[in-house]
Amino acid sequence: MNIIEIENLSHYFADGTCGLENINLTIREGTFVVIAGQNGSGKTTLLKHLNGLLLPTTGTVRLAGVPVSENLVKARQMVGMVFQDPDSQIVGETVCDDVAFGPENLCLDRSEVKRRVSRTLKVVGLLDFEDQKPHLLSGGEKRRLAIAGILAMEPKVLVFDEPFSSLDYPGVKQVLKQIISLHRSGHTILVAVHDLEKVIAHVDRLVIMKDGKVVKDGMPSQLLGELEAFGIREPCASRLGMEVQSWLN
Amino acid sequence: MAELSAFNFRPGSSVLHGLDVRFKLIFLVLISFTSLKAYTVALSFLTLVLVAALMHSGLSLKSILKTFRYVFVLLAFIFIARALSTPGSVVAEFKAISITREGIYYGAMICWRLVIVILTGLSFVLTTRPSEIKAAVEWTLNPFPFIPAKRIATMMSLMVRFLPVIIDQAKETADAQRARGIENRKNPVYRFGKLGIPLMRRTFARADKLAVAMEARCYSENRTDPVLSAGIMDWIALCGVICFCLVIIKT
Repeated sequence: MNIIEIENLSHYFADGTCGLENINLTIREGTFVVIAGQNGSGKTTLLKHLNGLLLPTTGTVRLAGVPVSENLVKARQMVGMVFQDPDSQIVGETVCDDVAFGPENLCLDRSEVKRRVSRTLKVVGLLDFEDQKPHLLSGGEKRRLAIAGILAMEPKVLVFDEPFSSLDYPGVKQVLKQIISLHRSGHTILVAVHDLEKVIAHVDRLVIMKDGKVVKDGMPSQLLGELEAFGIREPCASRLGMEVQSWLN
Repeated sequence: MAELSAFNFRPGSSVLHGLDVRFKLIFLVLISFTSLKAYTVALSFLTLVLVAALMHSGLSLKSILKTFRYVFVLLAFIFIARALSTPGSVVAEFKAISITREGIYYGAMICWRLVIVILTGLSFVLTTRPSEIKAAVEWTLNPFPFIPAKRIATMMSLMVRFLPVIIDQAKETADAQRARGIENRKNPVYRFGKLGIPLMRRTFARADKLAVAMEARCYSENRTDPVLSAGIMDWIALCGVICFCLVIIKT
């Protein structure tokens, strides 16, 4: 079943700049898709259409067959988005408060909010930090907290915008492990990156964007040789003619 | 950040931790106002009770003194100003400046009362989750028409959350400017402008990102209400505090 269907999507910003041009994309439930492209290629603009943070100038985006614009709250509950800068996403004064923010917005019972907070913090391994101040967490922990805040809303699709930016090696491993485990638990995953190295070994599909358009779409192994033509660095192992290795090995 | 962390919630199981936040808010107001009427004996008793309560809540005497190190500077200014400006019997004199016995006494009393107010605030913040404080603010403002209680409570909690982030940003910007020799420019207006403008730009940009992130998490004012429940202990504590305040006012 296609969980995301994008048809003829174009987006123009208020100043007339073209953000996206005629995007057609379908994503099957449970797949792990990476969207790669240079800075300014339209990755974030595309992702923001999936939960209605931006609405199309022309075209439609459907989630499980329902247009996003028909029910924005439902769309945002269904598609959880983890932003590039976790400091701008974390709103709670404590770890526990931040995770509760989403479920509280969905007007769930207090007992259900508590249940979801405990369960989610356990999933991301932050249960011991529930009373900690978010600004005292490490980069990797902050990113995991941002993921927890989204997971507590029980979305089917998880969208990550540059999830590895400004993280050290242990932080990258923590977040990557988390994303893989979420994919294994049945979530549909979309990751937007400009550097494929860290994630390419785990994805099912690679979508390349340039100047607001989808220029390539296919199996990662088939597209690795063409990456540099679109301003994306080819993974090191692939350059050396070797098989791409996971960062977790 | 260490300076700010002393005024943070600390999880625990003390009596104060167990009390309802609304009652604690009432105690904070009652004790603060009563301390204005208190003198040496009552202030000594209040100080002992509050320090004991803080220690029982998990804060060591050393941490309390560390928390107060900047407050002591402010108190010193207040004490000096009072000692020099109150008329009375002169203890020491230098040219036109004279220190009076009454000035020293009233200066000490004012500083002591301020310490009581801060200790009360500290014990409140230390034993109350930020989300409970937010809930109490919402509960207090709810009866007033035309006041958007939920919005004010959310704004307050966002302010608490982002204050350390803004301070971090200010520090980072100041460091970056020092690395480029801003200290050679002696004009404070120039320096303030060079720090303030980029800091404000970054803060507004962050606020924009925050608004989008909140929208992505379905933010609306119609949210799950906080749960506040008062027990027998809260009422007993309220009676105790009221009696105590009455005794102080009457004596």
